[in-house]
Amino acid sequence: MPDTALNPVSAVDQAIITQALIAAAHEMGVKLIRSAHSTIVREAEDCSSAILDARGNVVAQSELIPLQLGSIAHTFGPCAKITPPETLQEGDFYITNDPYNGGQHLPDVFLFSPIFIAGRLIGFSATVAHHIDLGGGAPGLNPNATDVHQEGIIFPPSRWNLDRDWRNDGALQRMVRANIRMPDHTIGDFEAQFAANQIGIERVRDLCARHGTDRVESAMTGMLDYAERRMRAALEAVPDGTYHGEDFLDDDGQGSGPLRIAATVTVKGSDIAVDFDGSSPQVKTNINSPFASTVGAALSVIKSALTSADLPFNTGCARAVTITAPHGSILNPIYPAPVRARLLPTYRVFNAVMKALAQAVPDRVIASGYDTTYACCLSHLGPKGYNIYLEIFGGGYGAGPANDGCNAVDSPLSNCGNIPIEAQDMAYPFFRVRDYSLVAGSGGEGRHRGGLGFQRIYEITADNVTFAAYGDRFDIAPEGLFGGAPGGKAEVWIERAGEKVELPSKTSMPLLRGDLLVVRTGGGAGYGPAGDRDARHTARDLTDGYILA
Amino acid sequence: MRVGVEVGGTFTDLVAIGDDGRLQVTKVPSTPARPDEGALNAIDSAGLDLSQVEDLVHGSTVATNAILERKGARVLMVVTEGTRDILLIQRHNRRRIYDLFYEKPEPVVQRRDVIEAPERIDATGAVVDALDLDVTMSRIAERLETAESDGDAYGAVAICLLNAYVEPTHEQAVADAVRKRFQNQKVTISSDVCREFREYERASTTALAAYVQPVIDAYLGRFGEALSARGHRGRFSVMQSNGGRLPAAGMARSAITALFSGPAAGVVGATRQALRSGFGNIITFDMGGTSTDVCLVRDGQPDLAAATEIDGLPVKTPVIDIATVGAGGGSIVWIDDGGLLRVGPESAGADPGPACYGRDGQRPTITDCHLIRGTIRAETFLGGTMQLDRAAAEAVIGPIATQLGLSAVEAADAAIRVAEANIVRAIQRISTERGHDPRDFALLPFGGAGPMLACRVAEDLGIHTVLVPPAAGVLSAYGLLASDFVHFESRTHQVRLEAVNEAEIGGVIAEVGAAAAAHLRDLGLEGEVGLKRSLDMRYVGQAFEIPVDLGDRGPDELDTDTIRALFEAAHHRVFEFDKAGGSAIEIVAFRAGAAVSPGAQPDLSGDAAATSIADRTAFFERGRQHADAPCTTRPGEGVGIAGPALVEDGTSTILVADGWRGAVDSAHNLILRLEEETTDA
Repeated sequence: MPDTALNPVSAVDQAIITQALIAAAHEMGVKLIRSAHSTIVREAEDCSSAILDARGNVVAQSELIPLQLGSIAHTFGPCAKITPPETLQEGDFYITNDPYNGGQHLPDVFLFSPIFIAGRLIGFSATVAHHIDLGGGAPGLNPNATDVHQEGIIFPPSRWNLDRDWRNDGALQRMVRANIRMPDHTIGDFEAQFAANQIGIERVRDLCARHGTDRVESAMTGMLDYAERRMRAALEAVPDGTYHGEDFLDDDGQGSGPLRIAATVTVKGSDIAVDFDGSSPQVKTNINSPFASTVGAALSVIKSALTSADLPFNTGCARAVTITAPHGSILNPIYPAPVRARLLPTYRVFNAVMKALAQAVPDRVIASGYDTTYACCLSHLGPKGYNIYLEIFGGGYGAGPANDGCNAVDSPLSNCGNIPIEAQDMAYPFFRVRDYSLVAGSGGEGRHRGGLGFQRIYEITADNVTFAAYGDRFDIAPEGLFGGAPGGKAEVWIERAGEKVELPSKTSMPLLRGDLLVVRTGGGAGYGPAGDRDARHTARDLTDGYILA
Repeated sequence: MRVGVEVGGTFTDLVAIGDDGRLQVTKVPSTPARPDEGALNAIDSAGLDLSQVEDLVHGSTVATNAILERKGARVLMVVTEGTRDILLIQRHNRRRIYDLFYEKPEPVVQRRDVIEAPERIDATGAVVDALDLDVTMSRIAERLETAESDGDAYGAVAICLLNAYVEPTHEQAVADAVRKRFQNQKVTISSDVCREFREYERASTTALAAYVQPVIDAYLGRFGEALSARGHRGRFSVMQSNGGRLPAAGMARSAITALFSGPAAGVVGATRQALRSGFGNIITFDMGGTSTDVCLVRDGQPDLAAATEIDGLPVKTPVIDIATVGAGGGSIVWIDDGGLLRVGPESAGADPGPACYGRDGQRPTITDCHLIRGTIRAETFLGGTMQLDRAAAEAVIGPIATQLGLSAVEAADAAIRVAEANIVRAIQRISTERGHDPRDFALLPFGGAGPMLACRVAEDLGIHTVLVPPAAGVLSAYGLLASDFVHFESRTHQVRLEAVNEAEIGGVIAEVGAAAAAHLRDLGLEGEVGLKRSLDMRYVGQAFEIPVDLGDRGPDELDTDTIRALFEAAHHRVFEFDKAGGSAIEIVAFRAGAAVSPGAQPDLSGDAAATSIADRTAFFERGRQHADAPCTTRPGEGVGIAGPALVEDGTSTILVADGWRGAVDSAHNLILRLEEETTDA
């Protein structure tokens, strides 16, 4: 129930302003995607948007990329510390992508624009987009980086002004342009972010004009309290106790062997604590998760498994959650460890927390899925400069208590669409997709079957093409739950002059005209014993070729 | 005589307009299993002599229901080798990002029914791998013959090959070979259905088109025969989702355009009725039992969207751009576990319906809230044909009122305000978000529940004029009669907007327009063909195009400077930013809509009207009790009415809110204005 003593907004105003702020964040996301230039934003939708209050709490956000959304407030904090919000002026903005100052990995650049009403700061509109190339040691993706500097330019948390520093070839824009490989795309995507932030500013201003600035501010506070109440109500329903879960990454890409991610989840009343003590120390390669990403992943799994679907995710939810990870571990690394592939360890965070929760709420969890971002980058240096293709692949979801896992879909912490083959045919003349299909038999058996992974086959049609990629689950398959079988593993190979060359999960290599590059992502694991499966479902799976005879 | 028959989910509406202009309205229950029976019942119940009907227009939910209930034909799908799973993989993303049990929208073609053709064409239309027709045909023949002998024959073959939007010859070659060898086999090819890039969306549209085609053919064949048997010799046409109609024979080529024709017809009826009072810019707002449809109309033309979806499956065909929210009279009022007051999207539906219907509904609905506030009167609801139980409504709102610390009537009022806000947001989606200021429009409510909320929804949007048409409950059926014959064509054709390409651009604009016009001529339609053109354009590097309306300008009136100016204005309106002058711009798709008028269009008129306003009633609204407010049936032309007041208009009630006043005009529309504006004028 709303506490009317602290919060003067009536029930009906609270309901109306809440929905309007969520709608504003949504509209920002839609416009960002629609006006962006790079395929990674415009087709894959690797971006997010939010409205924050004046203290930097996220009150409303678009539902785009879970991992980016979980930690926007964490990312904001260092910006406000360096340049206090009360010193901001109209047209200023904060920018950051610094993994060691609240950021995630370098490609995800966050922009925060202050919202002023008659000179009074009442909040921020914020967007984050994955930029296709921000310099660094290789186009799009540098899998061999040994420190964060080799991964691209770092924007430390800092304040700039749109008119002074960006527009009309401003100094910041020229500095960025000079350090990246596809400036037209990347600057176009920055413009789309600025424009989306402006939409957020306009919508909040309209709302203040209609309902009054005080009332909107109070409603923002009410939204945080509301989300916290609902989060706590959900946690009350989970049995108190301490639960453990763990999962493993294949390796660090340089032969380290399995890397452990361990989660201890403690539920007590309406609070939940997640501690990652016992997880692997940080590694030399780019498979380290900045703490903001670790937090985002843990919040995502808690939100997904424990709360109802219509709970708006904001900073209020996080008040009931405490997350800790040892400094110097793979989940909270020390500068200057490279972090580009941070999604790999964060997915094992997702799995480890899920396995812990499976003991507490077995009907609200799913088995492990492919749960990996396979980042697939092909680049070509031609006479007109670089052309970079980057796509993010998921695979099969783990099966649930009452459903088979979803086939060929982006993994749970992300939500990237594919780039249509016909769009690739227009944009990338140096390769051609020859196959895009489900991998039969890759879903783990069980009472409910895991989802299927898929394969892409690229025919390389030019010289001077470089392939760079990172992934996981090439060696260690996702585990089944309650007797379900593991899901199929991923594999990648090249067919060159009749020879099959197997590639590791993290790789970079030149390709030749005529090569066939085959990328296969993994399936999800099963839920419950295969012997309990409905025979009609097995028969259907055979007829449709989802499983092998 | 002209007759429109609209089959809806619950009711089948018929509007007959005689040569003398007399209007006859008939409402009968729909017969969902066999919708044509309901339509024939309406004709019989109206006592029409079909031999006197020169124009009969039909709208139905047959195509929509065939998809929603998965009752279409078994489809054999032919795709490019390597893309067998195009319908299953879809776009690799999820619509609900935190849903662990996520399942993708279920395609209408099963995996076992997809076969691959060895062939490949590139993005320029060049053949990379020649089509192996022998292999393709042997695969198709084997499937068709096996299915036939197993007694589970395919009703249609759908063909969608990569890049066929540029170069359709491979698709056409396969289709020709299938038709030659299997003479009665229906074949649908993607390049006929949608000449645009993005293969999943095109394949989905093609599969859906093939899936519903046999259903529509059978339905229209049966219905047409029944009409003939009753003596009908006049024209028989069918409504499409783009707001135009086609002769029934035209549906044999494009059944997919029959989706969602009911809401489209409503918008067409509303548009026509508003134009009679001189309003070209309106926002329509159709509130029914479970949902509300809203649409923006500019200069007498409803906005079109290039695509829609059904049951989560994309349909790339032009449709009237209607946004839907789950807010209707039957929407459930509830408080969530965070203490927030919510309305919908869950609905009490027809059964049990609102608590006040006395069918054991246990949860409060918007209709219950109106009854509690007094904005619906138990004694006059639906013309007094239905008993309402006010005590039952108060009983179910009680716990919500207690939790909010409000009285029952205050809680009911708060719930209606939340419903109004939901509709305001839906209207913002089609106006503000698209760069249109709602204050430049009048609001036109229809459907049973719309006119009760219209004044307040208008105020919250800054709109100062509300226009309530007569017979608002059967506006869709009227819209059928008001519609033109319409056909759309489009082409994906990527070209930079530069002077050197002017001839090429003009050529495609002309070609697409000619194709659209030729389609209508082929269907035997005579009369002047009007063409409306638009382009999908973007800055080079962007992937999502924005529609740039060219109006009725032809290729001769369009140089690249004109097109650039139109694009820049449209881009600024939508995104509120521009790129530097001189930035490269490209055209991605060319569109043309051809329209032929069906001849004289009849007008909608009101029933007998009150000459004075004598009754009084009491109601509560936006926190105020109005103890002695005017209450009337629809007033006659020129009889003024000032809010707060209720107008009980047959199947709907109009709430004239405090601060609003107006009168019925010569076109039979009730025009209400916010008072300041009336005083100003």
